[in-house]
Amino acid sequence: MFRTLTRRTLTGVAALAATGLVLTGCGGGGNEPAALDTEEQITLNYTFWGNDDRAARYDKAIAAFEEEYPNITINDTFTDYPSYWEKRQTEAAGGGLPDVMQFDYTYLRQYGDNGLLLNLEDYFGNGVTTDAIDETLLATGTLEDGTFAIPTGYSAWSVFQNPGLLADTGVEPYEGGTSWEDYDAYMAAVTEAGGGTVYGGTDTTQRIQDLELKLRQQGRELFTEEGELNFTQEELAEHWTEGQENRDSVTVPQSKLEEINPVSGFGGSITTSEMSWSNFLGGYLGDSGAEEITIVAPPTSNPDEKDLYRKVGLMQAASAQTEHPEAAAAFVDFLINSPEVGEIFGATLGIPASETQLEGANLEGPDQAVKDYLDSIEDRIGDAPAAPVNGFGAIEQTFWDLGKSIGLGAVTPEDAAKQFFDEAAVTLGN
Amino acid sequence: MTTDSAHAPATPRTAASGARPADHRRTGSPRPRRRNRDTVAGYVFLSPWLLGFVGLTLGPMLASLYLAFTDYNLFTAPEWTGLENLTRMAGDERFWASVRITLIYVLVGTPIKLAAALAVAMLLNYKARGTGFFRSAFYAPSLIGASVSIALVWRAMFSTEGPVDSTLNLFGITMGGWIGNPSLIMPMMILLAVWQFGAPMVIFLAGLKGVPAELYEAASVDGAKSWRKFISVTVPMLSPVIFFNLLLEMINAFQIFASAYIIGSGTGGPGGATNFYTVYLYTRAFANNQMGYASAMAWVLLLAVGVLAFILFRTSKSWVHYAGDSK
Repeated sequence: MFRTLTRRTLTGVAALAATGLVLTGCGGGGNEPAALDTEEQITLNYTFWGNDDRAARYDKAIAAFEEEYPNITINDTFTDYPSYWEKRQTEAAGGGLPDVMQFDYTYLRQYGDNGLLLNLEDYFGNGVTTDAIDETLLATGTLEDGTFAIPTGYSAWSVFQNPGLLADTGVEPYEGGTSWEDYDAYMAAVTEAGGGTVYGGTDTTQRIQDLELKLRQQGRELFTEEGELNFTQEELAEHWTEGQENRDSVTVPQSKLEEINPVSGFGGSITTSEMSWSNFLGGYLGDSGAEEITIVAPPTSNPDEKDLYRKVGLMQAASAQTEHPEAAAAFVDFLINSPEVGEIFGATLGIPASETQLEGANLEGPDQAVKDYLDSIEDRIGDAPAAPVNGFGAIEQTFWDLGKSIGLGAVTPEDAAKQFFDEAAVTLGN
Repeated sequence: MTTDSAHAPATPRTAASGARPADHRRTGSPRPRRRNRDTVAGYVFLSPWLLGFVGLTLGPMLASLYLAFTDYNLFTAPEWTGLENLTRMAGDERFWASVRITLIYVLVGTPIKLAAALAVAMLLNYKARGTGFFRSAFYAPSLIGASVSIALVWRAMFSTEGPVDSTLNLFGITMGGWIGNPSLIMPMMILLAVWQFGAPMVIFLAGLKGVPAELYEAASVDGAKSWRKFISVTVPMLSPVIFFNLLLEMINAFQIFASAYIIGSGTGGPGGATNFYTVYLYTRAFANNQMGYASAMAWVLLLAVGVLAFILFRTSKSWVHYAGDSK
């Protein structure tokens, strides 16, 4: 047949192939017909981000919910954090958001202000019990038009350590809350003893939270009250440059982290410490398989400054377009208030915001350690920053991607700072 | 793209379409009615595809053409911004970086892949025991190569102390994992593409079967050695197939997405080395909510590939020889 291949055939094939370039959109989820009735079988879609550990806990929580509401079935799916939001964005555009979602404070404004979330205030006292929820925490889910999400709990920035891994290196644990020099010395000692397989920690300038901590230790914030960046391009370049010495010889090489992504260096048991939100404890235990993980306060350059804050992270929210708003509200209420859910999750979604859930949580072991940690840093806790600006999620991710690129030597701190500012100008300009 | 119908041979189909139906109607011949019925039936059979094309391809394409000139964040209505997306693109460093690595991938990867495909096709063209098995074996990777699972397997293979690293270590070559290394990830991506040479190989094989044996005999009589036969007989006779494969593989290479997305963890990592054009487009659209910018990027890609294909077609006149051509 190829002897009679003609130009016309080729042109046709080429045109078709070129048409194939056009990216196809993704379909949204389905909608079930609505009818509110305790006899009626209702199916709700639920989605969350997390790892296997969290998934196992949700399975138990959902089973408990379905036992209490036999006519409601929960279909749950989960994914990792970045792709979680990519999926939600397409669903939001197509009108197919899941009925109930694990939500993030970072995205609250974007979704809540655009009418995509169910106003839970309509169900307060009538499906959603708010009496037991800490008022300041509850208020974080409130925007001008209503309350669109309820925080599961709170956490704070912290230093995690893996005592089992650390014991092999013979280095004393970092005591927490002392100077940055102390922490650097600790990381260097571990890396030296680790012989190229175990490192003391991960680059402490890589994430936007690292910069935020540094700024707050100087009495400043990431953003101005008007929602603009509260630091200069030069300061950012300097921030990233400060990490160079550690990146050269102390912290885990970024190339190793790229290989185990999406598990972190600490989760992958190649570093003995890592800074993150205190609610990461459960995930770390699951990822690393470590028997014990300890948690101490981050280093500080200014012990008198109230540099830490109670961070609302995880929230539960429902879609404005759900066919079963009452059922969705009941599920949100269950996830927030149920003592049973507290027992299942412990402190892995943050220290529970709801008093009833906190009692049910009956914190012990690592969860109690998180609670003890949060109590121990009481005098370093200051006011939380204002609600994240619209687009903060993208800014946070860009910062982290650039931080990683610097670690790989693919970009200089100066160029990265320029790219970050260009990017932020576009995002914040929207 | 040009439709050079002058060179198309007259097939029965084109001859029939040249007839004027009105003539038949006037003479009252029974043929036109049948033809009308045939036409209707034809469109009925065509309609599923046509509906899909209009609804799922043409419609979204036109919508994206409009969006390319807007600022659209998915949440609020698109806002007309004229050429702003294009001017922003011109000054966007990450855009140009993605263009650069995509071009490297296409311009280096495609020729290597085609060379490998042709070489293996020529080997398999010999009559020997087990060629059927080898044909299937070499073809298999192109069926599964673009899948998520294969990308995950390659990730594992090229990690530190993975099979590739360990094997190289045996020979005293220590370069660590390729996955986390921005300068080794591109060779790995090209290897992954070349490994999937099965599809062009099968087409080459079909083309090789069509080269008349008497041409080789004549060349042998003239004293040509195998390399000479390859250059003077195989390549010219195969040129339409080479052209076809080149065009398709080039267009395919521009579209690399799934494997790059998986291997680069969806963020173009490490250090932007897998931030291929389509990955960057996806990031802009679905991570940054800049649908207008992403639409503009999609159209720029379409136009760029169209221009490249056009250039290929123009140059093809001088090196592609069609058996059906009179010259």
